[in-house]
Amino acid sequence: MGLVDKGRMPASLTKLFNMSRSYSLWVYQWGLACCAIEMGAAFGSPRYDVMRLGVIPLPASPRQADFVCISGTVTDKMAPAVRRLWEQMPEPKYAISMGSCANCGGPYWDSYSVTKGVDQIIPIDVYVPGCPPRPEALLEGIVLLQQRIKNEDMAAKWRGDEGFTSLQATRERERVAAAPISEPANPAPDREPIVVGGGPIE
Amino acid sequence: MARLSDSTDTTAEDALALPGDGLREGIIDDLRRRIGDAVIDTHIAPNDDLWVRVSTESWRDTAVALKAAGFTFFSFLSGLDWMPSPYGKGEEDPTAEPQEPDTEIRQGVTGGETRFQVFARLVDLDRHVGVTVKADVPDDRPVVDSWSSVFAGANWHERECHEMFGIGFNGHPDLRNMYLPTDFEGYPLRKDFPLLARMIKPWPGIVDVEPMPAQDTAGEGSASDEPAGGES
Repeated sequence: MGLVDKGRMPASLTKLFNMSRSYSLWVYQWGLACCAIEMGAAFGSPRYDVMRLGVIPLPASPRQADFVCISGTVTDKMAPAVRRLWEQMPEPKYAISMGSCANCGGPYWDSYSVTKGVDQIIPIDVYVPGCPPRPEALLEGIVLLQQRIKNEDMAAKWRGDEGFTSLQATRERERVAAAPISEPANPAPDREPIVVGGGPIE
Repeated sequence: MARLSDSTDTTAEDALALPGDGLREGIIDDLRRRIGDAVIDTHIAPNDDLWVRVSTESWRDTAVALKAAGFTFFSFLSGLDWMPSPYGKGEEDPTAEPQEPDTEIRQGVTGGETRFQVFARLVDLDRHVGVTVKADVPDDRPVVDSWSSVFAGANWHERECHEMFGIGFNGHPDLRNMYLPTDFEGYPLRKDFPLLARMIKPWPGIVDVEPMPAQDTAGEGSASDEPAGGES
């Protein structure tokens, strides 16, 4: 469809596409350690059912997944595998870092073999703090990711812009480009990771 | 067999009279019969546990002897590094005077002559008794014989000991890294391996250094508990 990559998609169609994408997410579960149990509770149990949000936790491979939920300690031995499978995921893809270990190394920050935060390897959209976070916290992270997807500018991705571009950012960029030169550029941060339970990361 | 915990104090002489230690004394005698003067030192905690130190050359023979004596369950094998860490414990009070680092090597029960030792625990499931055996690892060439032909379970334990301490095992079929990445340099569980994260940022959980309210006559015991809390 030439509409998307030429950036000529009407706003209502963008919103519709974004909404459909956000309510049909297939999550690649990357459970490494204790957080995997909570992720399993969130994704697999009927109590913290994640399917009611439209998220299906059953992709057959990373190539069929929309986003990845990295839960647990990432060791230096595991890091190349994380990177490789992230690269195997097709765009548009997102990442949720679940738990303290995946956010920043967590309780094992001083270890000789732990990668201090999976965001050293892949770009993260939502951080879910906790050790382990409750399944409800992970679900809140997924809801925030859905809100972010609903707000995304797909045309930017098709044009080849790296990462996530929100609709506001695109509008802002167009407004600045169309405005007279004397107006100072307003650097709106395009990719601002979301932290569950808090504001943007300082 | 071994009695349950008993509240009377047992002296060294009393220990020999207790039935539980006849068992462990018997184990030591049996071991001495099998491997002779390779048994360098022993230590019995009465009714509790047994430690034996053997010579390095007889490390594998000890395994064979103990297995024949009934210790068929291999619990674990690992290494010991007795050198006090040159980086300190990382738990000292930052406001106190820096202490002189301790450099003396003090081996534990049953002693030793080298910095590194290899030790293992074997359990006799029929008599419900376990024994911890250890042997020195020579400083110039840290290699001992492998137990993997005696106890198959020792294979992975020796791999881990090798990658963490750098102790070689003669006769081990496959001595490669298990937990560490293949290209990891250094032996992390040695005491002189620098833990970079802790050197850059000291451990934020330093024990409370405020005096207890009862001892503090000024009555200012309600301050924050961790002096390093402002760093994070």
